[in-house]
Amino acid sequence: MIDVKNISKTFISHSTEVKALVNVTARIAPGEVVVVLGPSGSGKSTFIRCLNYLNVADEGSIVIDGIDILDPKTDINKVRAEVGMVFQSFNLFPHKTVLENVTLAPIVVRKKAKDVAKKKGMALLEKVGIQDKANVYPDQLSGGQQQRVAIARALAMEPKIMLFDEPTSALDPEMVGEVLDVMKNLAREGMTMVVVTHEMGFAREVADRVIFMDEGAIVEVGTPEHFFVNPTHERTKLFLSQIL
Amino acid sequence: MGSPLALKRSKQGNHYFLWVGVFFFIVITVVLALYFSARQIDYTWRWYRIPKYFAYQEQVEIIAETDGEVVSISKKGKKAVVQVKGLKGTESYTVPDNALEVEEGNTIYYGDVLAAYKKWRVGILLEGLWLTLKVSIIAIFFGILIGLFTGLARISSNPALKWSAITYIEMVRGSPLLVQIFIWYFVLGTLINNILAKQGIGQISALWFGVAALAGFTGAYVAEMVRAGIQSIHRGQTEAARSLGMTYVKSMRHVILPQALRRILPPLAGQFISLIKDSSLLGIIAIRELTKATREVVTTSLQPFELWFVCALLYLVLTFSLSMLLQYLERRQLAV
Repeated sequence: MIDVKNISKTFISHSTEVKALVNVTARIAPGEVVVVLGPSGSGKSTFIRCLNYLNVADEGSIVIDGIDILDPKTDINKVRAEVGMVFQSFNLFPHKTVLENVTLAPIVVRKKAKDVAKKKGMALLEKVGIQDKANVYPDQLSGGQQQRVAIARALAMEPKIMLFDEPTSALDPEMVGEVLDVMKNLAREGMTMVVVTHEMGFAREVADRVIFMDEGAIVEVGTPEHFFVNPTHERTKLFLSQIL
Repeated sequence: MGSPLALKRSKQGNHYFLWVGVFFFIVITVVLALYFSARQIDYTWRWYRIPKYFAYQEQVEIIAETDGEVVSISKKGKKAVVQVKGLKGTESYTVPDNALEVEEGNTIYYGDVLAAYKKWRVGILLEGLWLTLKVSIIAIFFGILIGLFTGLARISSNPALKWSAITYIEMVRGSPLLVQIFIWYFVLGTLINNILAKQGIGQISALWFGVAALAGFTGAYVAEMVRAGIQSIHRGQTEAARSLGMTYVKSMRHVILPQALRRILPPLAGQFISLIKDSSLLGIIAIRELTKATREVVTTSLQPFELWFVCALLYLVLTFSLSMLLQYLERRQLAV
């Protein structure tokens, strides 16, 4: 489903080079839930953003569902339509109602009829448990509700893959649960998911595999059992001792 | 937030109405000072002369163009058809029924009045006001279009677009509008009209060069506002839109611009008010907008005091209405 080979990414800020990704290779199978862990600045966000071409990898190749997204001939919009993305800061459209947020892309990108999109949108809002807020504007919602709308908005495009970039990091602690519940349901339904998060509980419970990154490189890959119970690398052990 | 305001109130407290009184005292003093200094130079205020420059009654006379006899007057609703039989044949005149000055059987000579009535005409000031309004509306419309595209070009990564936009903006913002109007009319206007004349196509009137100058001028300022507005929208908005598969154009149209335009509405209002006032410069290329019209009336009527006040007031009416309209839009947008 996702085949990442040897990608590297260097940011240049104030004439200093920051190596965000160094020779990263990963493979994610259909229906798999992969959680990316790592200390801040380890490149996990850059990694997931590269998968959606929001950051462009300097070298290597990224093949999503058979399409090489780094190929200049690829229509990236077509790929993005198949890959949903959820951001740390929600990024809902503040000038549109909750329902309009969810239906906008299906209408303008997928050219769906308005009533069809609305029906589907309402169903998705129901799925994330927020149907009664369909006609309010995002700023009237709590963080947790906003993030659930953001998930519904991504799902409205009927994506094959969902990317989550620290979806609960900007939330008040009591709202983390409601968002994670939605994500768990999604995982249970067989969605292919890549999740960058600090929620160890989620990783342990839901992930098929955990990728641990540090300093732009993948340090260790394994099942949650392997990762949390007997990690091989010193760096992983240190990380786990710091957070658990 | 509440406490500093409350502090201010309590300080003003009992003196509030005193200062309200001071305000009105100042206003009345200025008006009286103006009145009495005008008296000093023997200026006679003649406000009653002003209304006719807004609308006046014109005497209309329908005159016979032949000698002869009125052979018939037939009525058609509110009109009457007068048939005059002369040596060279019969002529007919259609006139308003109640304005008839002749009867059947009258003998008519060339130049006689068959009917006379009064008709309301629009005065020169109202014509000027209308022209100012028209020029401003067209210039605002094109100013927005130019500003929108230049603003987008300004933030494009394509150097041809970006540098063209910067050159245009800097040139327009860096030179006086008066000079730009001269260039549009006397340079570009001459060139364009000469080329058109050679091709045998009709000429473009001064009005359109004036509109072009104003629209081009406003467009440069609007462009900078559009740029600032777009850049003020958080990058996450673009990322969210693009991650849903929207193209650059779609994300601009549905996500970024609606938010950006809402933010730049207040400075835009100021810019459009400036444009209405700047249109007063168009008089110099013989467009008879409000200021030019006023100047013409002043030369004939010799009542400069009243007329210039009226002129200022008319501009105020235009700018104030626009300001109200945009405030209404702003409030309505904030409500959603």
